Amino acid sequence: MTTTQPTDTIDRLVGLSPTLNTYSVRHQRDKVVAATQKSEEGLFDPTLPGLTLAERLLVALLACTLTPSALCAAEYRQRLVDLNVEKSLIDHISNGALEQITDARLRSILTFTHALITDPVKADKAALQALPIAGLSTPEVVTLAQLIAFVSYQVRVVAGLNAMKLLELQA
Amino acid sequence: MSDLIEIKGFTNATLGWKAWLDVVSLDSATPEQIAVLEESHPQAKVSDYYLFLVHQPEVLKQRSVAFNAIMYAPGGMPRAERELGATVVSRINGCVYCASVHAQRFEQLAKRTDAIIEVFNDPHAAGTSERERAIVQFSIALTSAPDAVSPADIQALKDVGLTELEILDLMHSVAIFAWANRLMLNLGEPVFP
Repeated sequence: MTTTQPTDTIDRLVGLSPTLNTYSVRHQRDKVVAATQKSEEGLFDPTLPGLTLAERLLVALLACTLTPSALCAAEYRQRLVDLNVEKSLIDHISNGALEQITDARLRSILTFTHALITDPVKADKAALQALPIAGLSTPEVVTLAQLIAFVSYQVRVVAGLNAMKLLELQA
Repeated sequence: MSDLIEIKGFTNATLGWKAWLDVVSLDSATPEQIAVLEESHPQAKVSDYYLFLVHQPEVLKQRSVAFNAIMYAPGGMPRAERELGATVVSRINGCVYCASVHAQRFEQLAKRTDAIIEVFNDPHAAGTSERERAIVQFSIALTSAPDAVSPADIQALKDVGLTELEILDLMHSVAIFAWANRLMLNLGEPVFP
């Protein structure tokens, strides 16, 4: 049963439970913990109009693959599997093989993701304007940018807490 | 007034910012959008940045709660040091706008600009004390290669006297600027005075 599993994604990914000091440290900033979780829930809300949930999870998987963040990539990969997204599509993203993506809309979304994760300063006005040209509305562009930016944040919180937890376990 | 710093394309001058796509007009904004703008920032209703992000009000709302809790919460890491971390991340990511804002905040809180001048010149060698250098090095490491951050990196912060809550605050400050920089860099551009 899953009743004893923490519902907070970052606690779950890092393996933080109340018996660990790292958990107590993190939860001294409970406002941040809550806003982080609510941000994730909002960005991956199945009912959010615009980008489909599959598109959003593919963006997150690509972002984590490129960063890289092994823990977060495994999480988003599993969510895609659970959503029954085509295995070959998931594999192309996990391999960073964007040239294999034939759908023009998805490809433009993933190209933008690639740019923001690997070299945000080089992604210019033309990179952004390619999205409306590919058919994205402005609210969809905002969702996409916030999603990529949020995952950039999430992977770093996970990485930092994971290092803190590992230090605690070494002691 | 502080002295103007202009180094390698970075500055502490007050910059504007304009969006590259259509922003929400206040005349057509929903009550929810107005409420989120008011919660986000005192100047949000006249800021292209917030008026663009408010196309998705719930996402902006949670981002603002996280941002404000990370940068302004009492206790833990002194706010000047959180601003230093934010400025280092912005310098590494090349976000001139964010760097200018947080360079100013560091100066307001710390009453000095020496560390900012060093960060703008060469972030890898920046820091006016052992503690500052450790904060700068950790900020660069978590920004550049998060998966390579190890227990030794946490220990290095403890060795110069950071408490665990201070280390958490630094991680959050660095991480939230991975978020903020990507919005500021990729949705519009700074406007120079």
